[in-house]
Parts: sequence; structure tokens; C-alpha cells
Amino acid sequence: MKTVRRAWAELVESLRIAFGALAGARLRTFLTTLGIVIGVSTVIAIVAIIQGLDRSFEEQIQFLGAHTLYVDRHPWIQSDDTWWMYRNRKKITVEELRAVQRESQLALSVAPMVGIRGKVARGDVELESVVIRGTTEEYLNANGGGVQAGRFLVAGDVELARAAVVLGTDVVDRLFPGEPVAAAVGKKVLVAGRPFQVVGVMERQGQMLGMPLDNVAIMPWISFGRIFGGQRNMVLSVAAPPGKIADLESELTPILRKARHVLPGKPDDFSFNRQDQFLKLYKQLTGALYGMAIGVGLITLVVGGIGIMNIMLVSVHERTREIGVRRALGARRSTILLQFLIESAAVAALGGALGTGLGLGVAQLVALLSPLAAAATPSAIVFGIAFSTATGLLFGIWPAWRAANLDPVEALRYE
Amino acid sequence: MSEAPLISVENLTRVYTVGEEEVRALDGVSFDVHRGEWVAVVGQSGSGKSTLMNLIGALDTASAGSYRINGQDVEHLSDDQLADLRNNEIGFVFQTFQLLARSTALANVELPLVYRGIPRKERREKAVKALEAVGLANRMHHRPNELSGGQRQRVAIARALVGNPSLLLADEPTGNLDSATGEEIIRLFGELHRRGHTIMLVTHEPKLAARCPRAIRLSDGKVVADGPGAEVAALGVPSGIPAGAPRAGAAA
Repeated sequence: MKTVRRAWAELVESLRIAFGALAGARLRTFLTTLGIVIGVSTVIAIVAIIQGLDRSFEEQIQFLGAHTLYVDRHPWIQSDDTWWMYRNRKKITVEELRAVQRESQLALSVAPMVGIRGKVARGDVELESVVIRGTTEEYLNANGGGVQAGRFLVAGDVELARAAVVLGTDVVDRLFPGEPVAAAVGKKVLVAGRPFQVVGVMERQGQMLGMPLDNVAIMPWISFGRIFGGQRNMVLSVAAPPGKIADLESELTPILRKARHVLPGKPDDFSFNRQDQFLKLYKQLTGALYGMAIGVGLITLVVGGIGIMNIMLVSVHERTREIGVRRALGARRSTILLQFLIESAAVAALGGALGTGLGLGVAQLVALLSPLAAAATPSAIVFGIAFSTATGLLFGIWPAWRAANLDPVEALRYE
Repeated sequence: MSEAPLISVENLTRVYTVGEEEVRALDGVSFDVHRGEWVAVVGQSGSGKSTLMNLIGALDTASAGSYRINGQDVEHLSDDQLADLRNNEIGFVFQTFQLLARSTALANVELPLVYRGIPRKERREKAVKALEAVGLANRMHHRPNELSGGQRQRVAIARALVGNPSLLLADEPTGNLDSATGEEIIRLFGELHRRGHTIMLVTHEPKLAARCPRAIRLSDGKVVADGPGAEVAALGVPSGIPAGAPRAGAAA
């Protein structure tokens, strides 16, 4: 009990001394923390920007369903020198679609997708280069997403190859300026010069990697084929039950090989694409950035730590007599050690707090002035302060050890 | 039956190694100090009185010999135990006051109690009492640079007294004061002596030693005289009373 009380009293006294000493030399304290401030703020700013990017990237790839396999004849992510390997692969056609629909047990839904860029017009307004997509009523089930007005394509639209179209919000905004979204439903527009009736408007999806996703016009794939020709490469969206995406891939591989007449021993001539492949690529990119941030942070923290050590050595030197007095009055070595450790940790924590604030400010500024998003998680803030405090403790050990091991007789006599 | 002495020093020796040479700063010193005594330690500079003071104050440990204070053998104590001993048994008063410049008089006086783990409220009460005892009740919240030299030394004495130590150990307490202020401080020591405090006062001034009931004279690290202050101080040449002679102070 007495030991605890003594330790507590010493701790309180140490904190009092530390903050007294820091307040007594504000300029010096500030300059001492500068290294830490710069280090921590750099790291916090970089991390906040990366986290912001992460978040917006994750939002962006939401349109690729997390549980959806996209079967295409080539992988969507490829390095520069491999594209020729996929160039001569056969198109994916309705045969593969039928095979998957017929044979897959796991697939929750399958939707074909064909696409081209073309004109969509209404009255005098003509939009170039809208993504025109042909699909079936299964599209939403396979890909996710929804309509905000009207309805999506239904089986009847697809079977009868009706001239029905569902528009993305960008298209609606430009064809029906100043009107509510719902006003578009039921209106006629021209797609590649042919009249179509707008049956619905998609929810806004934003953009992915700079490409707008709402500049789209979706129609029955047979209608698409009639306009643009039926011999186009198709992408199959196949939805898997949650957590079964790998199983689905294993199941689809033999089905597709058979449908495409791939001889045994020959490699697959089709590719599965998934959202998490994009995530993986993205994580590789940001991983390098994180590594850099950590490297910069470590270097500056070491520099800042050396600054703190330097100033603490000066402080110990200046306060030699004070240390002697405290020892004479009954302070143990451990008490003196604790006192100086707390002081250096306090300086560093202060620097960490200032640096965190500054870093968040910089990140906000970047977010404001550039298209980069910035988002700081609480963990980054805690981490910044904790890490700088640890730096202060680490680099405070030597000065504090020196203070604790001063000979009281010498220290008292020190002029 | 006479009480056991508060301090018992036997054959105390302290050897410093300077380069290749050994310097015997203290060379076989023996004496006892009983509770309530006021003893001056006199001698010229280099006589070993500072070394003796450091040993008595448990700031340093002896090379040979033994030192007991209040029943504790000091020579085998660990560093932490020495710190605790200083905290509990010794009240230091220094020539240069040695107050913490950034702390108020009250905080300075509280310090020994902090290291003893006394709760804040109790600490404050005791510190206030100690400051009142040295006549500084109205200067408690002043910092040392707002106090005169005499007032600073009073704060230092209050700090030495606050933990109720067995020994008040003063090193040239008037050395940095003008003679009038020094006189006040000596009177204060006299007052403390009358109240029963045990005091050891290290000084090079024979005049000061003459006012103490007992004085020990050191020369070349040895006790050359030990007797009534006035007699020891009067000795121009340190040879009059041999070290083993009956002690006036001890007999009193």
C-alpha cells in the first residue's frame, strides 16, 4: 500500500515536473518536437490519403458484384506483354451462356452482357459515346444494382426483343435537363437511330477508376443484336452464393471447356474476372505507398527521437544540481529515471499530437484541392500519438539513465 | 543506563583514487553523537569535513570502518536503501540552499514527503507547519528568486525538518549569508537544538563552532580534537585535546 502510494505520488510529481519544465521552455519544447511533428504529420497525411483512396476505390468497384464471376475471353487485369496471348481466343457466345444455364448447380443467376459505344438522342440532343449494353432480365440479379424509377427489363422485353431501354442517370440528366428522373420513364429516345421506349432509370453508380458508370443505356440483348450484329463477344455475369465464388469457378471450368471444345491438356481459353482481383491489384499499389509512408515515418521519427535525446541530455546536464538535491532528499534512482522518461515521452507525445493535427489538416487540404479523397481513421490518430510517445520513451532512456546514475555528491557540487 | 548513541562512527575511512595515487580523505575517524546534541565539525578545507558530511548524510559510502545511524548499519545498504535512509533520517541544509528554482517554497518543503509517499493533503499540512516553524508562513507561495538569502535558507531548514529526521545535517549554512542574516540562522539552529533536534553543523569558522556545545576538529582526515565547542574552537594549533579525551557533549 505504501509502495503504491509512493509510486503514485512520484508519478504525479514526475508529471508535474515534466509539464513544468516543458512549459518553462516553450520555444525549446516546440523546436524539440518539430522533428516528431514533421514525421508524424507526413505519415498521417499519407495514410489519410491512402485510406481515402481505399474507401473511394471500394465504393467504385461495388458495381462489380462481390459474389459475381465475370467470364470473358481474356483477363481484365493483365500486364502489357501478355495481351497477345488472348487476342486470338474465340468469342464467348450464346452457346456458353446456354451451357452454364443448363449445367451449373451453383450459379444463382446468369446474365449475358454485350456492349458497344453508340449514340443516344432525344429531340435536338444527341449524346455520343454512350455505353450501350445488351443483356437479359437477369442482369440485376447477376450484377447487383437497381432502378430508381420505372422498372428494369423483364422477361417479356427480352423474349420479344422489345424496343425497351433502361438509362443511366448521366444519360437521363443530359437528355431530360431540369426534369425529375421519373419524367424520363415512358418517353421515346433514339438509340443508334432507332426508337426505344425508356422503361426505367438506373440508380446512380458513380465512377470507377475515372470511368463514369452512369453513362449507359441497357436493352434486351436480342434487340442489341439486331442493331449491332449478333456475333459479338459476350461477357457472362454469373452470381455465386456468398462465399462460394471459388467453388463456382471450379464448377464452371469444365462446363466452359466442354462448351468451347477445349481439348484435354490444353489450357483454358477463357478467363474468370472478379472484383477481388481489382482489389488485389489495388492493394499491391497502395501497399507500396504504405511502405513508403512507413519508411519516411521511421526515418523522421528516428531523427525526431535523436533531437529529443539531444535536448534531454542538455536538460539533464543543466539540472544536475536539481538531480543531486532530489537524490539527497530521498529520490531513488528509479524515481529520477521515471521523471526524465516521462518528460521525454511527454515532449514526444506533444509532438505526436501536433503532428497528427497537422497531418489531418494537410490531408483535408489535399482532399479539398485535388480529386484525391482523404479519410483518417481513429486508429491512425491513436497510432500516430502512441508511436511518437514510444519514440520519446526509447530515445529518453539514455538521458534518463545518465540522470539516474549521477553521483549525488558530484551532482550537488556541480556548478 | 545511558541511551545508545544516535550516530556511531568507528574507524571511518574514505579513500579516493586520483590517477594512480590514493588520497585518504578520511582516515580512521571514530566518534558518537547522542540524541539532542549539537555538534560542530570544524577544520580547514581539505581536512576531510566534506567527506565526513557526505558519509554521515549517506550520500557516499565509506571505504572502511562502520557507521550506524538510528540503529541502521549504513555500509551495506543498497542504493535504494541509502535513498530511503536519507529520506527518513537526514535533513540536509546546504551552503547554497539548493532549492528548486521553479517550485514555490511550499513545494520545495513538500518534496521529501513526496519521496516518502505521503498523501498530498497531509504533505501540505506538514509543509505549512514546517514553514510556520521557521517564520515563513507568509512566504509559502513565493519562488526562491522572490526570497532573500536568509529566507531561502529558512525554507531549506523547513525542508530539512519537515520529515522529522533524526539528524539535521548542515553544511556551512551561513557561508552564503551576510553576518546579520547568518546570525539569525544560527539562532534558529539554537532554537531547534533547544527543542531537542540533533544537529551536526559542518563549518570552517571557529567562531561558529565556539557557539556549539560540542565540536569535532578534523585535520588531514583525522579527528584531532573533540570537546566543548568553545575549547575546540579556541585551539589555534590542533593539538590541545586528544581525540580520546572525555567528551563534554556526550556527558551532558
